[in-house]
Amino acid sequence: MAGEEDQTRRSGGAVPYALLSPGMLWLILFFLVPLGTLFKTSLSTKPSRFIPELSFSWRIANYTDALDKYSEQFIRSFVYAGAATLLCIAIGYPVAYVIATRGGRFKNVLLGLVVVPFFTSFLIRTLAWQNVLSDNGPAVGLLDHLHLMGLLDALGVAVDGRLLATHAAVIGGLTYNFLPFMILPIYVSLEKIDLRLTEAAKDLYNNGWQAFRRVVLPLSMPGVFAGSLLTFIPAAGDFINAQFLGSPRNSMIGSVVQNRFLEQGDTPTAAALSFILMAIITAGTLIYAKVLGTDDLI
Amino acid sequence: MTTTESTPTNSGPALTRRALLGRMGVLAGATAIGPALLAACGSDDDSVDSGGGGGSSKALWFENWPAYIDEETVALFAKESGLDFNYTEGFNDNAAWFAKNQRLLADKKSVGPDIVAPTYWMVARLINLGWVQELPLDAIPNAANLVPSLQKPGWDPTGAFSLPWQSGMTGIAYNRSVTGRDLTSMADIFDPELKGKIGMLTEWRDTVGLTMLLLGADPSTATLASAGPALDKIEEAAKSGQIRQFTGNDYMDDLASGNFAACVGWSGDISQLALDNPDVRFAIPEEGGMQWSDTMILPAGAENVDNAATWMNYVYDPENAARITAYVGYNPPVVGVQEILAAGSDEEKALAESPLLFPDEATLARLHVFASLDEDAESGFEERFATIIGA
Amino acid sequence: MGRERAPEAALGRLGRWSLTSVAVAGFVFLFIPIAGIIAFSFNDPAGKFNIVWSGFTLDNWRDPFKPGPLTDAMFLSLRVAAIASAVATILGSLIAIALVRYRFRGGTLINLMLVLPLTTPEIVMGSSLATLFFDVGVDKSIQTVIIAHVLFCTSFVALTVKARIRGFDWSLEDAAMDLGAPPWRTFSRITLPLITPGILAAALLSFALSIDDFIITLFNAGPTDETFPLRIYSASKVELPAQIDVLAAIILLASVAILLVGTMFRRRQT
Repeated sequence: MAGEEDQTRRSGGAVPYALLSPGMLWLILFFLVPLGTLFKTSLSTKPSRFIPELSFSWRIANYTDALDKYSEQFIRSFVYAGAATLLCIAIGYPVAYVIATRGGRFKNVLLGLVVVPFFTSFLIRTLAWQNVLSDNGPAVGLLDHLHLMGLLDALGVAVDGRLLATHAAVIGGLTYNFLPFMILPIYVSLEKIDLRLTEAAKDLYNNGWQAFRRVVLPLSMPGVFAGSLLTFIPAAGDFINAQFLGSPRNSMIGSVVQNRFLEQGDTPTAAALSFILMAIITAGTLIYAKVLGTDDLI
Repeated sequence: MTTTESTPTNSGPALTRRALLGRMGVLAGATAIGPALLAACGSDDDSVDSGGGGGSSKALWFENWPAYIDEETVALFAKESGLDFNYTEGFNDNAAWFAKNQRLLADKKSVGPDIVAPTYWMVARLINLGWVQELPLDAIPNAANLVPSLQKPGWDPTGAFSLPWQSGMTGIAYNRSVTGRDLTSMADIFDPELKGKIGMLTEWRDTVGLTMLLLGADPSTATLASAGPALDKIEEAAKSGQIRQFTGNDYMDDLASGNFAACVGWSGDISQLALDNPDVRFAIPEEGGMQWSDTMILPAGAENVDNAATWMNYVYDPENAARITAYVGYNPPVVGVQEILAAGSDEEKALAESPLLFPDEATLARLHVFASLDEDAESGFEERFATIIGA
Repeated sequence: MGRERAPEAALGRLGRWSLTSVAVAGFVFLFIPIAGIIAFSFNDPAGKFNIVWSGFTLDNWRDPFKPGPLTDAMFLSLRVAAIASAVATILGSLIAIALVRYRFRGGTLINLMLVLPLTTPEIVMGSSLATLFFDVGVDKSIQTVIIAHVLFCTSFVALTVKARIRGFDWSLEDAAMDLGAPPWRTFSRITLPLITPGILAAALLSFALSIDDFIITLFNAGPTDETFPLRIYSASKVELPAQIDVLAAIILLASVAILLVGTMFRRRQT
């Protein structure tokens, strides 16, 4: 694929650089440079809680202390994000598949309908879930009516007959908020698959499921990969779902960073936590790419 | 679909396509960045005004907590004083406000509003840091109406920097239809029967203070050591799931919706909430409750000092104070409010007799103010409490 | 072969049926809170929190844009989103055009730098930008919010436009040039119409991203600048007026309307 593109590309001399420079300058100035200052901050100390002064001192202890103190939140964040990603794949793949293969004329409308809920604010949607799942709300009411509460309690989804302030509520919220980010990439990669391939595969394997497994699924992997990244990464750093739908026992690393940064004013620790989070995510992404066999990230 | 150009002649100047795209790129880039840069340079609206004396402008900006004033006072004041009065309700968290404005305050720049009303302990911190301007008390004759118990308080020993906006009591707020009974003590908050339906405040001075009282310790002389058992008890309750959430003012919606059976709450909130929902009640625990004030100050860099004095004088007039208190349901810092309400309409008479607004001597004797802490002690408490709430 | 297919066909039908049900369930899931929002926009809340149903009313809809902090915040968000997405679309599209149409050194590096903001958690981006402003002594304000929004939107735009225009047949352009069309005409008559749908889609996407952004804005807004999400967050601590649901419902209806109009328009084109 790359070779084909190269043929149509021109060597433009200075032109490409001119086109690139405004955007890249912005990125460098407001993304890379801040990451640099954040890194410097992560190695500094803040002598007074109240005075906004930092002193740079190569303080590696910021990192080790942070890992030590907040390992519980780190682990919980990755577990929640992982669970949410898997759920998104479980729900999102069928949706994408059905739209791609059965959508016909309505493909774009259906896709639009997937995206439309996300034009309301993320906060409003989470608050709406808080409402729906509240102790005297419709969800609990319905489950009570169907006598399913006991089962959910046993499974650990509900706690003491309520749905909020549980692991499930936070994971559910995360799943909901990032579902379109899973559906859209999977749809894009499914759409690219030539229908004739699937027909041929069905004939070859004599079985719809095999055809899917051997042909469609591998071809859709780039979409699954992209969707997983777009889901897992923001989910791992989120704190809104934990705050509105969870309890102190469900707090995530995002809650810690937000508290450190915006309430305690403890910028060095917040910075160290941010870098630890990024490092773990980057490592995880590379491993995931290897496992899936997708090297072409873009 | 598009159609290809059909006229073959090349009549334009000798521009190559590359050069054109290149120029367009730079032009587009400049057009994109230019306005943004200009906007950044120019002063769009607020913040970075050079501070300066207070006088000739007719502007005044008071940023207060939400739902802390009735509907008429702002308009009445604007009319009477002729000032261009901006009243906003964006102040909803002491610590978050401090963290956001730290840099501006330290540089003595204006934070925007001329008056803010942080909670007493934040005021103490700001005064110690020197980030507050002295009030022009000469221009506020009505300051003499300040309730004696709040004169020269612990957080402002000279009384020169602050005037209370409203005081309040912290106790137990509960939803009787969920608890099934009246609650009387913090022991009820820790009652396993209500597990998972309990809320506590992120305002740890209130939460820890009440728990200390339950365990027989005195919050007005609290140290990290003396508060240890209370902190441990709260931590245990959080870990076991007894406490569902640590909230700010948003406990009200959980209480109203039944998510909370009971929580640590503030008297005025409940007197407002109870109007819509008679199941919601408030009780000062038998072992004692906490008392606090939200206090008006002029942050360093605030400009319209004289206009601020006009406002403060206005709200310290007992008539105006009565109107405000009648709506918000907290304890007025102004003498004479109770008499004015007692002489008013039936509704107002009921308020004058309300123990929430005007607690009797016996109740007052059970209220405590949390000890003033130095930076190290405060740090210690903050860190410990942050761990407890999972952050 | 036919006999072997029968049970398989049945399984196939079962499989197809369960697949469709999961998909439908997925759609329902997507719309549960939306249904809640729309329903509660018609609620007559008993107190300050619109969370318990207590009565149907049309009052909330009579004056959805009534003056107040919520409406101000909404318009601020729209303003910020318009500026940020405009800037980001231009910057990002230029990058995409460069990447797709030109060969040059450093392409992989550029790609990597574009992807990085997407893989950085919002909390990290927000706090790092805030730290930069803090360090350099720039006070947080609307401008800092716009800068932050342009940052993450540019990546999205660049990658979206790139993906859209990648497979295009550029020989049309070359043909036009060969026929002697001047460069500007080539660009405006041929190139631009080809890439415009991709650019518009990217612009729309970045507008949506900017309006909805919370975490990055939280870290970088000035103390008195409140965008719509920030206002909801701070207000939700003391009240949840029905107006929020009404405004959200209006946004939803507007976006559905745009979607339908866009679809009909495109159908008519082809």
